[in-house]
Amino acid sequence: MTGLEPGQLWVMRIHAAIVGAVVLTVAAGANAVLAVALPVPMGAIVAPVALLLVYPVLFGPTRRFAAWRYGADDQELRIRHGVVIQVQTVVPFGRVQHIDVSQGPIERAFGVARLVLHTAGTANSQVVLPGLSRATAETLRDEIRVHIRQDLM
Amino acid sequence: MNEATVADRRLHPLSIGLRYLKNLPSTLLGLPALVTFLNDQGIEYFFVMVMVFGVAVLLINWIVWSRFQYGVGAHEIVIESGVISRNRRSIPFERIQDVDIERGPLERLLGLAKVRIETGGAGGDEGLLDSLSLAEADRLRAALRAGRARDQGAPGQPDETATAPVLFAMAVPRVLLSGLFNFSLLYLAGVFALLQTFEQFLPFRLEDWGQWIGFAEDRLDGRFTPATIAAVLLLALLLGVVTGVARTLARDYGFRLAEEPAGLRRDRGLFTRTEIVIPKRRIQLALIRRGAMKRLFGLGELLFQTLSADREGGGKQSVAPLAYEAEMLPILDAANRMRLPDKAVLLQVSRSHVLKAIASHTLVPLLVIAAAAVMFPAAVLGLALVPLLILAAIVERRAHRFALVDDTLYVQRGWWDQKLWIVPIRQAHTLTLLRSPIQRLLGLSTLLVDTAGASSLSDPRIVDLSSETATRLADALAEKLRRPAA
Repeated sequence: MTGLEPGQLWVMRIHAAIVGAVVLTVAAGANAVLAVALPVPMGAIVAPVALLLVYPVLFGPTRRFAAWRYGADDQELRIRHGVVIQVQTVVPFGRVQHIDVSQGPIERAFGVARLVLHTAGTANSQVVLPGLSRATAETLRDEIRVHIRQDLM
Repeated sequence: MNEATVADRRLHPLSIGLRYLKNLPSTLLGLPALVTFLNDQGIEYFFVMVMVFGVAVLLINWIVWSRFQYGVGAHEIVIESGVISRNRRSIPFERIQDVDIERGPLERLLGLAKVRIETGGAGGDEGLLDSLSLAEADRLRAALRAGRARDQGAPGQPDETATAPVLFAMAVPRVLLSGLFNFSLLYLAGVFALLQTFEQFLPFRLEDWGQWIGFAEDRLDGRFTPATIAAVLLLALLLGVVTGVARTLARDYGFRLAEEPAGLRRDRGLFTRTEIVIPKRRIQLALIRRGAMKRLFGLGELLFQTLSADREGGGKQSVAPLAYEAEMLPILDAANRMRLPDKAVLLQVSRSHVLKAIASHTLVPLLVIAAAAVMFPAAVLGLALVPLLILAAIVERRAHRFALVDDTLYVQRGWWDQKLWIVPIRQAHTLTLLRSPIQRLLGLSTLLVDTAGASSLSDPRIVDLSSETATRLADALAEKLRRPAA
């Protein structure tokens, strides 16, 4: 089992920071609205929210990044991730319907890509493996594609 | 497909009237608007308008009907529709999954039938002919099935309705018995809600409970005895039974499941007779539901989960609403050789399942009781509930079992509403192990087997295996999925 590319850590940190900033902005807005009606200081809502955000924004991404592991042999892909709820998934290549390799702008900046496996299942119809180098993602995709074709014949 | 298929057949002319009747209620909704609009005009003016309106709608229905045509070619069925923009849809025989015939009460009165052509796409009505004469519907279905059998290379047989071996059928007594098990006060609640919706038409108001009781008190003058309460409860119970039986009778009257080359064919219904064909290769898994009461008599309901989730029942089709195990065996065998598990091979999940249930289910009630006890010391009596919750957890654990036999995974869960999933491993798409913090503390894992067409509320997951067992089981399943497809 291998871990993700180091670039993914930064992608996760930036994602967390963006979410944190949005939450903080909403909190500040709510605080400002409340301040009109009641004599509350600016920090009344913002401060506790900021405090609550410290762990998920500053330390959360590192732990979540470290929890990701994946491994593939010639027949299946195994993924494990999750800090609070740990998830281990096995995707047999023969079950894959189609595959995407996708890259958002932040991911592109840090040179990582996401491999998305689509199956015909219900709960797990999409299995996402982020934080691969573009080359690895494409190699994996081509390898799995061979299996899909074989399964159809 | 050298020459284009000619679409030269129309729906039955009576279907114009049928559609008109079916749309009548929604058309009538427009009347109040018309009334307000014509408020100052005379009443005769109003009737003239209504007549003009009615004739116009009928005319539109006739135009729509005359522009709807279909035809069967050598390799496809073509449906042309649309008044202004024409739409020509062709469905190749090899894409056709099911051809269903459906007859509601009105259709049966007029001798018509609705034909539904399903192609296995995600959408609902890919080919709907509403409605044809029954003879034409039968002819069309036979033609489509024969064409499909030819094009898909399967052994073709025309309509084999008469010779199809019946796998399961329910006589009226069985349907009535099934209705008794479907007893539910839920429908009563529904009736009550309906009454509430239309209460402006009722001579009394439903919210005026106080007034009702006041009436009752006046009349009874303190005779609100346990006997009257018991009588009211008995009446509610009786109504529950009657609604359950009536509903089941309407749905399952004349239930019949037969095996055809195309799959399993099910006919049922008292007022609306529906017929569907479940192709065998679309059957994902079997589910047996045995409520505590049914279990007492050794009965249960057998359902098949199919690939199409667009039908009622969330992709689950009942193939035997009330059957003994011995009656389920041939149905399971017909559907890709599934079998019932030997009771002895079903293993229980980890003992810690009980601990986890207690930890996750008693904490909240305890907190509520504690909070209430601050205000009302008597709330401490609520602690008596806790042993009940613990007992429930123990009973649930005893009912939660699993087994991997050859190429089939069996999962049983629930005590009151017990479900047994029979999952051919080939139908699993992904395997997932989950560990929540509590589970990690107790060394447990949940194994999730993802199948197509499952609903997230009821899937064959095994909750709280010991982590070693879970890993071993997941590996064994993964190993079976590795083998090349047969």
